[in-house]
Amino acid sequence: MRGHGFLLANYAPGESLIHRAPLWLKFMVVVSCGMASFLIVDWRLAAAALALMCTLFLLSGAGPARLVRAVRPLLPVLLAIGAFQWWQLGAPVAARIVLNVLLCVVAASLLTATTPLQRLLDGVVSLARPFTRFGADPERFALTIAIMLRSIPFIAGAYADVRDSARARGLERNPRALVLPVFITTVAYARHTGEALAARGLGEPEDSRPGDG
Amino acid sequence: MSTISLSGVGVRVVVDSHPEPKVLLQNVTLSLSERRIGVIGANGSGKSTLLRLLNGLVAPSEGSVTVNGSDTVRHVRAVRQQVGFVFTDPLSQLVMPTGREDVELSLRRSVRNGAERRARADAALARFGLLPLGDQSIYELSGGERQLLALAAVLAVEPDVLVLDEPSTLLDLRNRELLRGTIAGLRQQIIMSTHDLELALDMDRVLVVEAGRIVFDGGAAAAVAHYRSLCAAGLEIPRGAGADGGDAR
Repeated sequence: MRGHGFLLANYAPGESLIHRAPLWLKFMVVVSCGMASFLIVDWRLAAAALALMCTLFLLSGAGPARLVRAVRPLLPVLLAIGAFQWWQLGAPVAARIVLNVLLCVVAASLLTATTPLQRLLDGVVSLARPFTRFGADPERFALTIAIMLRSIPFIAGAYADVRDSARARGLERNPRALVLPVFITTVAYARHTGEALAARGLGEPEDSRPGDG
Repeated sequence: MSTISLSGVGVRVVVDSHPEPKVLLQNVTLSLSERRIGVIGANGSGKSTLLRLLNGLVAPSEGSVTVNGSDTVRHVRAVRQQVGFVFTDPLSQLVMPTGREDVELSLRRSVRNGAERRARADAALARFGLLPLGDQSIYELSGGERQLLALAAVLAVEPDVLVLDEPSTLLDLRNRELLRGTIAGLRQQIIMSTHDLELALDMDRVLVVEAGRIVFDGGAAAAVAHYRSLCAAGLEIPRGAGADGGDAR
């Protein structure tokens, strides 16, 4: 199985100001960019915000290649959305929508590229802690998010592998030859991941302490 | 050393296409306390099922398995703190994008402080010479590096027992030797299944599994000889197996 990047950039170790910035601040930047996509109505302002976010990404030292890898998988979808919006609502609105989506993706990538995953998970645990009174387990919540982040590139990789083997047998136009093996591989991956986590004692309820039972 | 006891253990699974449950293991009674224990046998003989019982990944259909007195079904959390498990394919086991993150994941339950967790993860990586590769994608590592990383992630929480399911199957000769040397230097009690008979000869005690039964239990050289004779006989289980030097426990 090959590894694939998908949407958000992988962590790039570094000592930049952005790397050292508190997690809450980086998280607020992501939230603000998400809010901005509703509030910004001028495509030029959206372009300026995107340019600023790209500059911050490059200043962090994560590198242009990582930025391109994070954005590239989204481009076909954005192209389709942009073309449809242009046809329906005109060029300025289409540009604003596409630029705002890109802004959100680059902001989220800035967060993931400058924050180790474990620190992100610690942040998720802190956010989820108030819900413990309702029976939630913050560690399990964080683990679920970590597994989700890990699974997206795996499924993308599984699709690429299956597509190559379908091509090798001249079956690239057969949807069954593409979808079914990806589905089976994904289910097998989910089982393996569950087993690997169980073997390491992860994801088990906190209340089953040693000696219980 | 820890003591793992299996008492009258059987494992059966229901298979859709068969009316009767399939028997994976039957009537296994063992006490495992030696420092290095090997498990050998043909594909599908029940080796992996036997190993998975020890960590609570498989629950016995009958009988019981205990690790230092903790039942693997009722006290599974306590058992998993004592018994680490290394899978054949490290990619099935490594669930985080990079090595450091994966080792840190292992430590999340036991070490709450982020800085301390990171320091301990670095120490675990350094122990296996993997620190410079800690931030690389697990897909960029060689097979040997991945297997060592899987080992580092399991050993980071300092289990007393390490169970390895065919750890050298996917490795080339160089990486196999590296793994062999690493395993030999561990303080943990090792229980390992393998098709590598050289590796099996390093063990203090070797179990031969065939068709869900322990057909030989004894010293490494005698066990390997017994397994070879089984293979030569077309994998027919001799009557009174275990009588030629080992104990059928």
